[in-house]
Amino acid sequence: MRRVLLVLEPVIWALFSAGMMVGGLLLPAWALVMGVAGPLGIAATATSYDHFYALASHPLGRLVLLAAMALPLWGGAHHLRHLWLDFGGLRSDGLVGTLCYGGALLGSLLAIVAVVRL
Amino acid sequence: MADKQKKTIVVTRFDPDKDEAPRQQRYEIPVEPDWKVLDALNYIKDHVDGTLSHRWSCRMAVCGSCGMNVDGTPKLTCKDALADYGDSVEVTPLANFPVVRDLVVDIEGFMERLQKVKPFILRAKELAVEDGPTRQSPVELDDFRQFSMCINCMLCYAACPVTTNEPDFLGPAAIALGHRYNLDTRDQGQAERNQVFREDGGVFACSYAGECSEVCPKHVDPSGAIQQAKMANVIDWVTGLVLRRGDAG
Amino acid sequence: MSHARPVIDAMKPTKPGATRTAPPRAPDGFPSRGNYRGYLAFGFGGFFLFTLSLLVLRSVWAIGTGEAAWNRLQAGFQNPLYVIYHAIAFLWLSWFILRLFRLFPATQPKRFGPFQRPPDAVMVAGLSGAFVVVTLALATILWGAV
Repeated sequence: MRRVLLVLEPVIWALFSAGMMVGGLLLPAWALVMGVAGPLGIAATATSYDHFYALASHPLGRLVLLAAMALPLWGGAHHLRHLWLDFGGLRSDGLVGTLCYGGALLGSLLAIVAVVRL
Repeated sequence: MADKQKKTIVVTRFDPDKDEAPRQQRYEIPVEPDWKVLDALNYIKDHVDGTLSHRWSCRMAVCGSCGMNVDGTPKLTCKDALADYGDSVEVTPLANFPVVRDLVVDIEGFMERLQKVKPFILRAKELAVEDGPTRQSPVELDDFRQFSMCINCMLCYAACPVTTNEPDFLGPAAIALGHRYNLDTRDQGQAERNQVFREDGGVFACSYAGECSEVCPKHVDPSGAIQQAKMANVIDWVTGLVLRRGDAG
Repeated sequence: MSHARPVIDAMKPTKPGATRTAPPRAPDGFPSRGNYRGYLAFGFGGFFLFTLSLLVLRSVWAIGTGEAAWNRLQAGFQNPLYVIYHAIAFLWLSWFILRLFRLFPATQPKRFGPFQRPPDAVMVAGLSGAFVVVTLALATILWGAV
């Protein structure tokens, strides 16, 4: 498994790089509004179905959301795999790497479906 | 006359013929205020215990021989002021290296990594003498100059957590030097080196801890070099797929 | 003073040397010493990247399912554990991206063709400023002011 990951490494790293950037730029605002202000009632419109559907179903909205869902998964997966290695997990790297990137791949595919079916 | 200040130097000792494992030995010695750590080690060897073994040469931080861990941090002992430490200083062999004897580590692993990255100009086609000298502008020199300053002291390897956990990792200095040649306009071996950089333990094994650049005494910034090498490698990989070129080197 | 744990294989040469060697020792201070802490906290940002993007996916899936599903999800997000998670995620990822931007200039080549790389301070200020602008803009759009 580790050999497969090695062959794919340039692609994985490129996705990870993009994922860090996009995730770091887009996700903090999401967490603040949709995760804190909205649920606490400070930003009532944020949690409204009509409001969010209008944003999400717009072509630009779909693109931005797809980027915000799919790319950070690769950023996260790569970081988590390397954290595992930092604590001595080389022997199980093939398995852990496959789980991490497999999860990212599955999430990315679901993200594509999620924006298409809106 | 005032007594000279005394310090205790705690040194790792290991004789493979006598010792099961490394042990520590304490030496209390008089020290001068302007001494480096290396001066203290040389005093011990010259006046206290001639069996102490340690590497050193130039005494001016250009040869890279005297790298050791001082109070846990990789340092060039000829450059590291003894006055920066308290009454007791611990000197251990460079971390992440097998220990041959006392403070001397086995650097053969580093030599192998260095050879792997082919740290010299690679040409697809050698120029003839009649073609004249190769021209390189100051701007082109500046592209790689910083990375050429490496003195192979291996402090970066002693600081790198990936070197600890992934035995195949090429390591900071080797990658920085390989990248130095990739950036050199005279070189035509990028494809060949980038192939090495994509193997197990290549550039993508680096997780950008940045410890290597923290300890580098020559401000090479190997960590920056490795990140640049990663991006260059992705571009090279994509180009290779698209162009389906043969190897230049 | 030395807390290094012994390791077996680091920097081992392919052929054994003439004499027996003692095994290498890991760098002192990992994981608790200064620089390592920042590095590991940065790595742990990966946990928030992964989990938060999955939660965005959950939201987008719910909005595509219908109003009832969306409202159920929003009610669920009012759970204090979710609010605390999102608050920590906001802080951690903001620190994460600002640290990435601080480290960014060194990862770029000195020259892009005829153009020199801008001074590091300019790059960092520009990128960090972009983060603030994007966050404010996105927050405003999500909030419903636009």
